[in-house]
Amino acid sequence: MAFLQTDAISMRFGGIDALDAVSISAEPGLVTGLIGPNGAGKTTLFNIITGLHPPTAGRVLLDGRDVTGMSVYRRARLGIGRTFQRLEIFGSLSVRDNIRVTLEVRRRWSRQRIDINQETGAILERVGLAELAKVPADTLPTGLARLVELGRALATRPRLLLLDEPGSGLDATETEAFGNLLADLANDGLAVLLVEHDMDLVMKACSQLSVLDYGELIASGTPEEIRANPRVQDAYLGSEDMVEDTVADSSTPPGLAGAGAGVGGLP
Amino acid sequence: MSLFVGLTIAGLATGAIYAIAASGLVVTYTTSGVFNFAHGSLGMLMAFLYWQLRVADHWAGPFALGAVLLVAAPIVGAGLQLLLVRWIDINDTGVMLVTTLALLVLGMGVAYAIWPADTARALGPFFGPTSFVTVLGQRISYEQLLCIGLAIAVAIGLRLFLFSTRLGITMRAVVDDRPLVALNGWRTTRLNALSWAIGVSMGALAAILQATLFDDLSVLNLTFLIINSFAAAMLGRLRNLPLTFVGAIVLGLAASYVTGYVHTTNGPLSELETVLPTLFLIIVLLVLPSVRLRVGAPPARRTPRIASARVSAVQSVGVVAAVLIALPFLHGTNLGAVNEGLAIAILGLAVVLLSGYGGQLNLAMYTFLGLGAFLFMKLSPGGGLGGLVLVTLIGAGVGIVFALPALRLRGLELALSTLALSELVWYVLFNQSSVMENTITIHRLRIPFISLQGPRANLIFMAVVFSVLAFGVGAIRRSSFGRLLAASKDSPAASATIGMNLNLTKIGVTALATALATFAGALFGSTQQQVTATDFYFYLGLFIVLTVYIWGVHSPMGALAGGLSLSVFPLVAPHLPSWISLDLLVGFGALGMVINPNGTLDAISSRARAFWESRPARQPAAPAAPAREEARLLGLPAD
Repeated sequence: MAFLQTDAISMRFGGIDALDAVSISAEPGLVTGLIGPNGAGKTTLFNIITGLHPPTAGRVLLDGRDVTGMSVYRRARLGIGRTFQRLEIFGSLSVRDNIRVTLEVRRRWSRQRIDINQETGAILERVGLAELAKVPADTLPTGLARLVELGRALATRPRLLLLDEPGSGLDATETEAFGNLLADLANDGLAVLLVEHDMDLVMKACSQLSVLDYGELIASGTPEEIRANPRVQDAYLGSEDMVEDTVADSSTPPGLAGAGAGVGGLP
Repeated sequence: MSLFVGLTIAGLATGAIYAIAASGLVVTYTTSGVFNFAHGSLGMLMAFLYWQLRVADHWAGPFALGAVLLVAAPIVGAGLQLLLVRWIDINDTGVMLVTTLALLVLGMGVAYAIWPADTARALGPFFGPTSFVTVLGQRISYEQLLCIGLAIAVAIGLRLFLFSTRLGITMRAVVDDRPLVALNGWRTTRLNALSWAIGVSMGALAAILQATLFDDLSVLNLTFLIINSFAAAMLGRLRNLPLTFVGAIVLGLAASYVTGYVHTTNGPLSELETVLPTLFLIIVLLVLPSVRLRVGAPPARRTPRIASARVSAVQSVGVVAAVLIALPFLHGTNLGAVNEGLAIAILGLAVVLLSGYGGQLNLAMYTFLGLGAFLFMKLSPGGGLGGLVLVTLIGAGVGIVFALPALRLRGLELALSTLALSELVWYVLFNQSSVMENTITIHRLRIPFISLQGPRANLIFMAVVFSVLAFGVGAIRRSSFGRLLAASKDSPAASATIGMNLNLTKIGVTALATALATFAGALFGSTQQQVTATDFYFYLGLFIVLTVYIWGVHSPMGALAGGLSLSVFPLVAPHLPSWISLDLLVGFGALGMVINPNGTLDAISSRARAFWESRPARQPAAPAAPAREEARLLGLPAD
């Protein structure tokens, strides 16, 4: 059963439909990809799921419970952890203290006995930041700062993990390691919802994909089904003529080329 | 009936002035993203300039008005935007607020420098005494009709400009997405300069009308027209012009009816008209829905590192040692000033805790200082320690009540509501004859085994108390609670997504800081032994905040430097040119926040560290014998 279910979520900003009756789900033990061109509404949907934005219409269900009107911090306590598209690290704290403060918050509300030092060390090891524990977080390059956000999200001990473009800023080796980490997290039973433009990573890591375009859910299915979906091809690359042009054009910007290559196997 | 009509017309005229001022505030905010605390202060300066041209230099009215509204005010507004405001990081709420607060204070300093307060000035009415119409037996002056007419013209004009012209729509779009507007070929800096030019002109118009209608050319009253404007603008959440207009008219009418129908010359109700905007503001803040947490807009600056426990301890011991060394050289007023400075420095520690660590800007700090002094006098008439503890606990409670209306909202609302509340408390409480209108005498604190009666003994005691508290404030920052504060300041959105209850964190730090501020007040009273309401005038709250920011709001040493600066200035002032005032220095100094947001002490230590690290590297020591042998075996040179 899905841990997260969005039920016909709509969001209007002024006169613009950022999301139009979007229903997606995320199941424990699976990495679900949420893809779509820039401006498709992916981050808006994340903000609605976490409670940062109230939807114009629709419901957010967490483990079958309607949490639509619930505050951000209460949802976090129910098991939603997230990272951000634009970094939101605690810059004045060290890498270690970014994790530590999260554990301290969890200890306060959960009233659990948590060995803060031991758990902080374990999380830093897991995300590969143990060597940088004492470094001030605001001095890290983007890729590593994203790992701090991931570690912080893991420290909430989430049941659902929302990752918003975690691969941007990582090099090829780091991306591969990150893919393995995603698989580990799913094996641990987490429901992972991944927004990512690196289609190689998405296709390897995700067992299910949902595709948004202009706020509308245009496709859902396995990576193979999504690859073959003409609406998805059209959303990413426009007409078929454009597809051919783009795939053939080596000067295509990296993001688009990545999309082309990934959605690819395209004609 | 005729009284009601008269009061209504008068209220509409007053409301019209508020509407013009508030609309200017809204225009600047919606088009540049910067809330201009100095809106009233800049308007005040323009009103004085108008006085200079019209009264002192005998210019014809229309020429003087045109020169101020169409030339000077737009130049000042656009100039400020181009030279100063454009460099403010609008995602850094603290710096944004402090910079425009600095402008507010600087504006007052400039006014006092050019138009010294010892000369009375007045702006005569635009029209003669026979210029009125009669409605239902009530005279309505042309002055009042002019105000109402101008407000209607401004409302219609702004609405048309911002919503129906390409330029106006683009100006609004700059705040939403500056890069996108720039990509469309617009020069965003010029657009913002235009919005500031319009905003300052409207502030100027409101200030001139206010000074003319009420025959009140006062630096303070015109500067703090900002509170009335803000109260009106908050009804429209600083964005909605029609609601701002409604808020202004409601405020104007309420003020007029209170003047007409509430006949009280003594007691708190006598100040009802003065504090009406604050009451209005509190009601609006209470009914406003919570704001959304912003995502994706962290400030760009590096936060200074927090001193370790060892460094904090060394600093604390150093403060006591410095006082002991300086003690033989301090006498009379110098000794008194340093005593007072240490009490204010303890107040500064509250600013460090609340603003530096917690990211909350509370402008009512002097109110808590006064509250502490007054309560200590009442609760501890003999100077006993029990009263001091009680005073501190009450301070924590009152601080929470002060902060509650705006806790759910943003730093901007908290700053403005605390400024407004401090004005309210000063008028309805401190300045009452039963409280501190006249000088009150406070007993020196009594502690077991040690007499603090002498100023030297008191100074050593104050230095020890400051040092202990400074270490304690640093320890709070290094504690688990301090990490909560840092996280909530760095990213409120991320803090909420890790399960932190932000409101609870804000309440916690507010209670701690106001308890500390009230404690400082008790010690201030104990040190000074005689205080009066003017010692805690509400706008002094700006000075302690700005001064601590100037030196460094992230360090207890910034609080020390800030407190001593404020207390020592009166000793230095007689040796300075008369035009140099504390307002001028503090305002000018705090503008430096744009260049150096972490304060002077951080800049000094950063430069010192950079200098130290840039020294030529020392020659490496000669390898030890085994290393030499190893090198020889590897066929490498041994040195």
